[in-house]
Amino acid sequence: MRKEFTQIRRDSRLMVTMTIQPAVQLLLLGFALSATVTNLKLGIVDDDQSIESRALVNALGESKSFRLTGTYGSVNGLARALSRGDLSAGMVVPYDYGRNLKRGADTTVQVLLNGVNANTASISQGYAQSVIESYNAGLRSNRAGESQIGRHGFVVLQPAFLYNPGLEGSWFLVTGVFGLLLLLNASLVAETTMIRERERGTIEQLLMLPASTAEIVIAKIAPLFAMLCLMVVICMLLIKFAFQVPFHGSFTLVTCGAALCLLCGIGVGTTIASFSKSAKQSMLLGFFVNPLLFSLSGSLNPVEGMPKWMQPLTVLNPIHHLATIARGCLIKGSGLSDLWTNFFALAALTLGLLTLSIWRFRGQLS
Amino acid sequence: MRRILEQTRKELIQVVRDKRAMLMALGIPVVLLLLMSQSISLTVNDLPIVVQDLDGSTASRVFIDAFRASITFRVIAWPVDEQPEVAFKANAARAALIIPRNFGRDMARGQGSPVQLLVDGSDSNTAQLVSAYAKEVTSAYNQSTGGVGQHAGQSGPIHAAVRLWYNPGRSSNKFYGPGIFVLMLSLFPPLLASLAMAKEGEEKTILQVYVSSISAHEFLLGKILASMVIGLAQWSVLMILLFRYFGLVIAGDPTPFLIATVLYMFCVAAFGTMAGAAIPEQASAMQAVALFGFLLVFLLAGLIFPVENIPVGVRWISNIVWGRYYIEVVRDALLQGGGWPAMWSQVASVGGIGSLMYLFAWRKMRRMQLEA
Repeated sequence: MRKEFTQIRRDSRLMVTMTIQPAVQLLLLGFALSATVTNLKLGIVDDDQSIESRALVNALGESKSFRLTGTYGSVNGLARALSRGDLSAGMVVPYDYGRNLKRGADTTVQVLLNGVNANTASISQGYAQSVIESYNAGLRSNRAGESQIGRHGFVVLQPAFLYNPGLEGSWFLVTGVFGLLLLLNASLVAETTMIRERERGTIEQLLMLPASTAEIVIAKIAPLFAMLCLMVVICMLLIKFAFQVPFHGSFTLVTCGAALCLLCGIGVGTTIASFSKSAKQSMLLGFFVNPLLFSLSGSLNPVEGMPKWMQPLTVLNPIHHLATIARGCLIKGSGLSDLWTNFFALAALTLGLLTLSIWRFRGQLS
Repeated sequence: MRRILEQTRKELIQVVRDKRAMLMALGIPVVLLLLMSQSISLTVNDLPIVVQDLDGSTASRVFIDAFRASITFRVIAWPVDEQPEVAFKANAARAALIIPRNFGRDMARGQGSPVQLLVDGSDSNTAQLVSAYAKEVTSAYNQSTGGVGQHAGQSGPIHAAVRLWYNPGRSSNKFYGPGIFVLMLSLFPPLLASLAMAKEGEEKTILQVYVSSISAHEFLLGKILASMVIGLAQWSVLMILLFRYFGLVIAGDPTPFLIATVLYMFCVAAFGTMAGAAIPEQASAMQAVALFGFLLVFLLAGLIFPVENIPVGVRWISNIVWGRYYIEVVRDALLQGGGWPAMWSQVASVGGIGSLMYLFAWRKMRRMQLEA
């Protein structure tokens, strides 16, 4: 085991890649990725050109969500700009808009949204409607004094966002990317170490040692694990200080979850290594496994967004469990009583993968 | 020219002979395209929502039914005497709707009744979607009960008629399908190219190339051409999938798309060859290609998250990510149909980055001789 430690310490390049690289990735991804929708480029076709229509256009332009980029003479011009990608939203104000408002009649404006990105479209639709609604509310107060008789009741929805009232997108992403980095790095390191032994043929020497296979595998894993724990600490510090994620729950709980996830990652790595004969093959296998783990984890995107039949598969994904633990514990302040299923699943996965790789390892003797 | 073609033929024979490489080149991208494009969507259906009905009147039941009928929400039962936060902490629900005690009375009186919607904000994007959907359900309910719309009532005089262009069903498959398509094309052709090139360095067969009469340009072009052929084969397989399975059609003038495809294939093949020449060791070369091909294209090319949201300090990186331009071209060709006026700069960028890659590969190639 000491031999493994010295080997890792000598390999300073590995040290650097294991500690600096994840930190940089976490920072880059946390800051760079965001699905929030602001500054939508809005084009206007104002066929009315009255005071009223200008006021509405201004109301849209004042909101943070939209940025007025141009006015167009005709709907065709607007349509061309939308299809060129110069605009992501457009509004058409009809010629009788001001007149209808003055008369006290209702009027309709058309809002065109580029629906190519379904997510952005849904959110910007919500924005457009709430801007127009609040503009309506302003108009309504000017028009007070209408008869109250015969009116039906109505529902006033009051949304409140718990845990993250500022809707800080990076909190969600950072906690997800955290699990992603742990698993990917752990599996990569474990994979290369095991494969190196294999390619150099030192594996026979190991197997001849007067130690059981389980001991050998544990001795190989322990130093890697220690080094990866250093990475966990660095990432946690970044999450706390660079991204200002609140630490509502227990710190130890997250650390335990991260440690389990690391072990699981090592398990994935050794399993991949035990199924492949060369570094090239194990990389190929990794290419197939990692993107799947990555996209089926719910770390960057909600699990509910996946097709129905895919959703149960996330139970097999360690990244999913760690992301749930980190989010629950840090942002929502959940305790072990809420998250024990995730811990249990992580432990079971780790045990399963390590047993599989030890079994395969032993089988390689023949 | 003949020597380039001969070199290409040799490379292709090598690839076709390697069964595993063939499988990787054609099989894995198809499987990944199918699975990933469906799993990475940000839009959600069937979100679990807790409803606490403190009123229990007919009116409140009708209102809850409006939520139950929407495909976005799945109402789950929750006891009235338990805090909805417990459901959030246990990840049992994404939102909670709390109907006040005198909801039915307020409705009958013709007053506004405040209904609370608590949203789990830890996933901010989903939280925004939830609140937008809930607003839509509520306003539909208001309109159906006649609380609004008449006498310029609650909703006010201005109505917004929202039209979603290019993707009216808000199908996220149609958005992510082309994105993952580009991701696959940015990952697998350069992977094969880098393997072929790194192998020459690893096995020192590159020295034979130096003593032969073939020039560096001919050698590189031969290799790149072979990768392009493989890439175009992948492209055709994936395109069939996009047409048949994702229901996409060519939306406009296809020429910018076709030209950009050829240029992009050149670009990624040159990138792979460059990586292979720079790192004459197969495993490391693959790792480098994976890092750039996968991470950069996946994260900084606007595949899931719009490029405009990347902070300005990092956004310049996405300007040199070759996949970004091709994603725009593919989405335009399959969804928007902007044609040449919209896409000429993207096509030019793909070509430009490709030539730069080629230049680097050529320079590396000359240095390889000294190192080998």
